[in-house]
Amino acid sequence: MPPSQGTAHPLRLLGVYAALVALMFGLIFFTGDKAHTPKLGIDLQGGTRVTLTARTPDGAKPSQDSLKKAQEIIEKRVNGLGVAGSEVVIEGDNLVITVPGADGAQAKSLATTAKMYVRPVLSQQAAVKGGQPPAAQPTAPPATPPTESVAPTTAPEPTSEAPAPQNRVFPAQAPTTPSPTPTPAPAPGGLTPQQQTQQEIAAAKALRQSADPTVQAQAMASLDCSKPDPLQGNDDPALPLVSCSTDGNFVYLLDKSALDGQEIKDATSAYDQQRGWVVNVEFKSGGSDTWGKLTTQYQGKQLAFVLDSKVVSAPQVNQGGQYGGNTQISGSFNAKTAKELANTLKYGSLPLSFSTSEAETVSATLGLSSLHAGLIAGAIGLVAVLLYCLLYYRMLGFLAGFSLLAAGVAVYALIVLLGRWIGFTLDLAGIAGLIIGIGMTADSFVVFFERIKDQMREGRSFRSAVPRGWQRAQRTNLSGKTVSLIASAVLYLLAAGQVKGFAFTLGLTTVLDVIVLYLVTAPLMMLVSRSPFWAKPSVNGLGAIAELAQERKAAAGVLVKEA
Amino acid sequence: MAKSSPVAVDSDSELDYEGAGSGKQHSLFERLYTGTGGFEIVGKRKVYYGIAAVLIAIAALSMGLKGFTLGIDFAGGSRIQLPAAADVTTSKVDDVYRSVIGHDPVTTQKVGSGSSATIQLRSDTLTNEQADKLQNALFDAFHPKDASGQPNRNAISVAEISETWGGQVTHKALLALVVFVVLTMIYIAIRFERDMSIAAIGSLFFNLIVTAGIYSLVGFEVTPAAVIGLLTILGYVLYDNVVVFDKVEENTRGVLHLTKHTYAEKANLAANQTLMRSINTTVIGILPIIGMLVIAVWLLGVGTLKDLALVQLVGMIVGGYSSIFFAVPILVSIKETWGPVAEHTKRVLNRRQGGAKARVGAAAAERAGAAGRGGEVVANGAARPSSRGQNTGAPRPGARPSGKRQQRRH
Repeated sequence: MPPSQGTAHPLRLLGVYAALVALMFGLIFFTGDKAHTPKLGIDLQGGTRVTLTARTPDGAKPSQDSLKKAQEIIEKRVNGLGVAGSEVVIEGDNLVITVPGADGAQAKSLATTAKMYVRPVLSQQAAVKGGQPPAAQPTAPPATPPTESVAPTTAPEPTSEAPAPQNRVFPAQAPTTPSPTPTPAPAPGGLTPQQQTQQEIAAAKALRQSADPTVQAQAMASLDCSKPDPLQGNDDPALPLVSCSTDGNFVYLLDKSALDGQEIKDATSAYDQQRGWVVNVEFKSGGSDTWGKLTTQYQGKQLAFVLDSKVVSAPQVNQGGQYGGNTQISGSFNAKTAKELANTLKYGSLPLSFSTSEAETVSATLGLSSLHAGLIAGAIGLVAVLLYCLLYYRMLGFLAGFSLLAAGVAVYALIVLLGRWIGFTLDLAGIAGLIIGIGMTADSFVVFFERIKDQMREGRSFRSAVPRGWQRAQRTNLSGKTVSLIASAVLYLLAAGQVKGFAFTLGLTTVLDVIVLYLVTAPLMMLVSRSPFWAKPSVNGLGAIAELAQERKAAAGVLVKEA
Repeated sequence: MAKSSPVAVDSDSELDYEGAGSGKQHSLFERLYTGTGGFEIVGKRKVYYGIAAVLIAIAALSMGLKGFTLGIDFAGGSRIQLPAAADVTTSKVDDVYRSVIGHDPVTTQKVGSGSSATIQLRSDTLTNEQADKLQNALFDAFHPKDASGQPNRNAISVAEISETWGGQVTHKALLALVVFVVLTMIYIAIRFERDMSIAAIGSLFFNLIVTAGIYSLVGFEVTPAAVIGLLTILGYVLYDNVVVFDKVEENTRGVLHLTKHTYAEKANLAANQTLMRSINTTVIGILPIIGMLVIAVWLLGVGTLKDLALVQLVGMIVGGYSSIFFAVPILVSIKETWGPVAEHTKRVLNRRQGGAKARVGAAAAERAGAAGRGGEVVANGAARPSSRGQNTGAPRPGARPSGKRQQRRH
């Protein structure tokens, strides 16, 4: 196969590249919002990012449907914060909430609200503080008996604060029996986090959702409210439940769920002259029926609002037959807690329960420092590579440098455009990917150059070595870049967390690198190879190779003569 | 038969490295630069296997005995960062923390420098309320300023990380590793050949183990970013391998049809020719990474940028080494263990012995075909076409398959 001189004229290829870049910048400046800076991740501009991992009782993958629904609900809540540019995206089995700017810290608690049930209270006792240092619960309010009450909004009840029924079912059970099962054994190594979670949930269920009175009693005695709850939203509504109150001061034995939180239509917090902060709840039509029956059945008794397996509020039912679809929960709320409960109730149950895997609030100051550090590092990297190329490849180093700049311009434009089109945000890891991409891009030139050297070693002139070297370099380059691309793609699709940005920019530079190689580097080399100036060893630095080829020729000549 | 022009010195005669004809001595750099180093890489592969074995043993021992220094993402906890203005010291921050939370934080350190310097505080997982209180207390104590120079509560960064997060990331990374290895094995097997695919994967695991070993040995903190960074190194290592193997493939094409050189010798030549490229690639690859590492450590002290840079730096150096000194020898060893190459190597060595006894023609006693070919090749160096596929030893007139010849030239 005779080496071709390239299928198109070098200048035409360069022109194509220039046109592509011009097109991209045209799109940037004349379409969309015309912003010419990339969309920055919260670690570069400051903001909050919360990664939520779905927890399923059996450790199975959550269905895409339920994830989408959860995403919708959380999106509503995030928008309720009123911060522009907030996002909730599904990443594998995770939901990632990003709220830019300084006001996003509340986002951290957005998804702690998951499943809500109304369960009748069977019994209640003060929580055992399980040997934890008092510091573990410094924020717990003073341990007074709960004073919540439920009343229809239309008819404010006179406060009939009957003392909560204490330990009605098993009053005599003292926490003397050492319980063998309360703490799930530390998971042996080799278990995936999913399996571990699964085991913990199963253990907690066996103990705390038993219908057996003895086990229930034991669970109540041994439940440590200061520890994170492994059940957390994974309780079975059809079974009784032993659970803590959210403030960690009380342990409740609850009957099976009587009403699902999804039956709640709306909830608002309000200030009531007599009772302080209250939450007004409006039920959907089906829910109001159930609620009416419940209030009749449990008048004078307590009903617990259980959220994420924790008792948010266990008010006493003051009036039966509340069929109006409206009710009011009062208790020891303040403005904040009342609003939180109202939001929780209003936005309905999430179809999944989530645990926060990572929640990070980055200050704008820190973000700015990171951005600066990234940009400086990139600039240093670029200059260092350019200097090395000039040193090693002499004037040809300029070609390598020019290719790098050409690629850099295109990468910048693409990142801006992708930020606009698919919401790609450049984060610190993405910048790292770009910096590493500098080396990878320059390597295309290295491979090409070494192939030219190969050809010259075989006795060709610089002029004829370039097209032949290009023939071979193409294959090498494409094979190599394919591997890099596979790596980036696999990482992007499978890896979790912010490092996705890293894989993305690395893949992006790989693709662009190939384009630049074909449209810029190679045509430039072709042009250069025809110029007598560049053929000078002092300019292209290839003198040693030419010399070697001369020696080779001489040696070969000798060999042949000998024969 | 000396009709082939002496100018067309093709790759077949390149094995002569240095000194095969020219008497002029070249410096080490020149030999590196011109790809004529003549370094015995494949020939001394036992030495390189020894080095590799020692490295792997050290890495395995360190991982087994010393383990890894796991970052906060694996242990779980909270991380609070605030700008380190002149009046903010670690002990003062500790005091504030103690008064709010009631016990000491796990670590408090000053990281970074200049206007980017921060105090970083690591503690056990704080609840939202605790974090809130702490943030308020820290603001009251130090009034940290935000980017615009105004005192702002939000100048304090807070991160909470569950202990399962690191595991989750690692789990996914392992899954990605398996998928990646399978995909690249298939790709290399299709694009090149099966043996190269095996050698590449071997070198990939060598990299993984040694890089992880260095992490364990030095006690660099393992973070999710480092785990993912390790995966991208593998992409880089395979890229390096592919470039080297590409040259090996080019050099060894048609080698089996001749008895002049063994596969090993041709592979060694390829390794030599790519040595400079590997060095250059590694240097060019690590220059930006060193820049990134220096800036990240100096300005920020900690974080994603540092983690990614560090793992890439270690991995690229190991990768550059392994693509030449591990992957190529492994490839040759595999090739020489079974298959046509093993057979061919024996033949070449036999012929050489024969050739030593009687230089021209006399080796006919050994093996008709081989000897016939041998004499011819020794005689005309570059001209080889007639010596192919003549198992019978009787040259068929006009039977020179020009197609194959073309293939071999490229």
